[in-house]
Amino acid sequence: MAVLQKSMSFSLMGTWAASCLLLIALWAQEADALPINSQCKLEASNFQQPYIVNRTFMLAKEASLADNNTDVRLIGEKLFRGVNAKDQCYLMKQVLNFTLEDVLLPQSDRFQPYMQEVVPFMTKLSNQLSPCHISGDDQHIQKNVRRLKETVKKLGESGEIKAIGELDLLFMSLRNACV
Amino acid sequence: MMPKHCFLGLLLMFLTSTTEMQPAHVSLKLQKVQFQSRNFHNILHWQPGSSLTSNGSIYFVQYKMYGQRQWKDKIDCWGTTALFCDLTNETLDPYQPYYGRVMMSCAGSHSAWTMTPRFTPWWETKLGPLAVTITRVNASLRALLRPPELPNRYQIGKNTSMENYYDLVYRVFIINNLLEKEQKAYEGTQRAIEIEGLTPHSRYCVVADMYLPMLDRRSPRSQERCVRIP
Repeated sequence: MAVLQKSMSFSLMGTWAASCLLLIALWAQEADALPINSQCKLEASNFQQPYIVNRTFMLAKEASLADNNTDVRLIGEKLFRGVNAKDQCYLMKQVLNFTLEDVLLPQSDRFQPYMQEVVPFMTKLSNQLSPCHISGDDQHIQKNVRRLKETVKKLGESGEIKAIGELDLLFMSLRNACV
Repeated sequence: MMPKHCFLGLLLMFLTSTTEMQPAHVSLKLQKVQFQSRNFHNILHWQPGSSLTSNGSIYFVQYKMYGQRQWKDKIDCWGTTALFCDLTNETLDPYQPYYGRVMMSCAGSHSAWTMTPRFTPWWETKLGPLAVTITRVNASLRALLRPPELPNRYQIGKNTSMENYYDLVYRVFIINNLLEKEQKAYEGTQRAIEIEGLTPHSRYCVVADMYLPMLDRRSPRSQERCVRIP
């Protein structure tokens, strides 16, 4: 009888301990994931304003007419290769910041009136993503971003035009990755 | 056998080109090479540069996704005499940018390729109209909305529909023929709608459309369907 009772209480203890361990494990996992993903986020409402959506697509359309290089694409399957879904918003943040600083600002007098409306919108998204960081190794992400930057630099001004022509893709990728 | 008109066109171009380079070049170039897209059915259209070359000319079509190196031949439109080519199955992903291009051949000589602007179905396709059927149930109206059919591939697997690509809403309007006033009876995502509170002894007509809030676009309206409330 005593033996039976002992083994029973032992198995109860075991279950309790196991649940505790499981809870701790779950909690630890969540704590680990929380600081990364919660910051890399954009409100869906950013992408639901028809005026600016249309302006962004029209600007891209206008610039893409001036882009005769149909072989080279900046925002495509290659950019996301090897990048986890949860890190893609961080990746797009890098692309967005590069596009703002090295493409849109130097070209800001062109493609009016769209440019003067789209730049503040993109700037706003960039500000919202400023707390977005990832912990740990981001080398593979930086490698993909670097490839994009190098392509733009190598093509010179037509690379900048190409990047403007892909603002629709930038918009949709930000939406997919960050909302 | 050499097609007659085509040959005359080329001859004329040859003669003019000896004195002036520009016109010959312009007239051989294809015009208005562009996609026309409705409900994700993406048709490439073009026009011959000159009416003289339209008869007896044949056309060759290629396509690719933006960023790819290789152009692919569209076999169904390889040597076609038509002025359009259905590239729906080659442009199935609505979020991807595509290009098409066309070359004309006439009496053994051929034009340069003329390319479309970059084409993204999601942005450029025109939606609608809805098909509406209505039935009367006592003093209320039941309307069934049927969105246009998508190309085949979209329906394989899950029941993919327009709603997967756009956050669209359906809108139903009713017109009371006595009052001759139109009012919005419904706005939402349901396809089966019941409209109540109708006045007896009057005739009601129903039209519906689709609205895309993200793009602030509306589809053309459906055909009007009418019913009498006894």
